[in-house]
Amino acid sequence: MPDPSQVGLELDEVTFPVERGKVREFVRALHEHDPIYQDADAAAAAGFTAIPAPLTFPMVAMMWRERDAAIEDLGFDFKRLLHGGTTWEYVRPLLVGDEITVKRSVAAVNQREGKRGGVMTFVTIDTEITDATGGVVARQTDTLIQTGA
Amino acid sequence: MATTTSTLASLSAEDQAPEQVHGPVTRSDLVRYAGAGGDFNPIHHDEQFARDAGLDTVFAMGMFHAGLLSRLVAGWLGLANVRRFGVRFTGQVWPGDTLTFNGVVDRVYEEDGVRLADCSFTVTRQTGDVAITATATAAIA
Repeated sequence: MPDPSQVGLELDEVTFPVERGKVREFVRALHEHDPIYQDADAAAAAGFTAIPAPLTFPMVAMMWRERDAAIEDLGFDFKRLLHGGTTWEYVRPLLVGDEITVKRSVAAVNQREGKRGGVMTFVTIDTEITDATGGVVARQTDTLIQTGA
Repeated sequence: MATTTSTLASLSAEDQAPEQVHGPVTRSDLVRYAGAGGDFNPIHHDEQFARDAGLDTVFAMGMFHAGLLSRLVAGWLGLANVRRFGVRFTGQVWPGDTLTFNGVVDRVYEEDGVRLADCSFTVTRQTGDVAITATATAAIA
């Protein structure tokens, strides 16, 4: 089970290319029909220097792993793991052509008694998303919840 | 399509986003999102796995309906204007569900010479259960 001694732990780092095909596949899965995500001219007309990616697209980079070893290594029992939520802070839109690096660390671990007994553990994971120049594009915060046994 | 710049600048508290409805959610939606988003947790596509876990069937990954909601957020406030977007998952979404997406401006204020709008959003199932509560902050002028 995750515990407060893990706060500050750096989890892992992954580099991910933001490709036009992946963005197209992603927006189609979301039934998103705004042409800025598929058409370079429409993106340019809307003021973007390249086709942008949707707001939740950074999650695709999070999934760019064969298995989520870092999260497993924190001691989660995956059968009792819930995703409480995600917050993104955007410095600029993510664009096709970006090569982003996603670096995760443990920001907080809190435990409290669950309503139905057992200890609930809330783990906050901070993710910094930087581009090829090292500049921060966005920051993501996830809350993972381990429910009581 | 994005709200025009002049409309955006005149946003004020209690203004509502144009409501969106999506549904019914299909298993194909979930499989398609699994591939596009890279979330292959079998609980979201493998019926037998879901039943073995004590569920009636598969349920949607939260990032699927968070992504559906992001269309409303970006369409209403303008993708490039969004400074912050946060989703909290409050209930599950199942195949067959019809989802309604709503948004409202909570307050408009100035910070460092930029006009900002804090907004709240919900994703609600046909049962009335809320699957997501969300907030966003956007620069509107």
